[in-house]
Amino acid sequence: MDLTRNLINETVSRLYPTQPLLVQRTSPVADAVKLMREKKVGCVLVCEQRRVVGIFTERDLLRRVLLEGKQLDTPIAECMTPDPVTVHPKDSISSAIKRMQKGGYRHLPVVIDDKPVGILSVKRIVHYLVEHFPTMVYNLPPHPQPIQPRREGA
Amino acid sequence: MICPSCGHKNLPGDDVCRHCKQPLTAFDLPQPENPVEQSLMFDQVKTLKQNAPVTIGQAATIGDAMEMMQSTNVGAILVVDDAGRLVGIFSERDLLKRVVGNVADFQKLPITQFMTPRPECVATTDTLNFVLQKMDAGGYRHVPVLENGKPVSIISARDMLRFLTRLCREA
Repeated sequence: MDLTRNLINETVSRLYPTQPLLVQRTSPVADAVKLMREKKVGCVLVCEQRRVVGIFTERDLLRRVLLEGKQLDTPIAECMTPDPVTVHPKDSISSAIKRMQKGGYRHLPVVIDDKPVGILSVKRIVHYLVEHFPTMVYNLPPHPQPIQPRREGA
Repeated sequence: MICPSCGHKNLPGDDVCRHCKQPLTAFDLPQPENPVEQSLMFDQVKTLKQNAPVTIGQAATIGDAMEMMQSTNVGAILVVDDAGRLVGIFSERDLLKRVVGNVADFQKLPITQFMTPRPECVATTDTLNFVLQKMDAGGYRHVPVLENGKPVSIISARDMLRFLTRLCREA
């Protein structure tokens, strides 16, 4: 089937991963939160000399900052997830999905030689899968029950 | 559209043939071409794994909600009224978007002030393509499943991904 074959043959770069948001490891959590809120994304990559050293997500914000009672001026290096699982743009989509499911991640950084080039999210992958059967998903009525309870019009 | 029974040429979108009155709506429905499409069109939400939803009362505070998200290891909790009906959803994204860095001392504030009210939901009898439609078009990570207005399950984007990849492997 098309989809099964595409998952193996097509690469992560085909998904056009979104541009990553980068912060320095010494910058405070508040900066990252502001950046995530402005750009409406769920994660930022923590870098040191253009190399990814960690990832900071909404979940880290809840678990490692708020619930531990840390202040928002804590350096991000103290509450990030260090050494995240990454993918290369030339990796197949199915291998990216496997890595995501194995660790239960929502976001994977896309890197070339440790240099960040993108972020791949679970929503992007679901969108990619949906694109394979557009008529099943997009050609739908707004409400599942098509029968109106009463007659329309005057 | 040309009527398959009498060959009359109808206007596109007609429900019945103007010549022989045969219904034409069935020909507009997409035909499933592979097992994945078949499953999306005909399998109902209840065939997915039921994740018991984590619910919290309307009177709860942000602090309570955060504790609950921590102890149950979920990213979104459902806010219900006294009768158990869904009134809103509070997720990690709401926390980021509306709470942290925006308001000081938020632990004691009521959850109803920051939740997303009236989220998009599905019923247990809806088919899976409706879940995907809501998730993909609306950009939601969690879609609650309701039965008579009460939450019975919640479907996350990762659940859908798991379901679809399993189907692909079997196909």
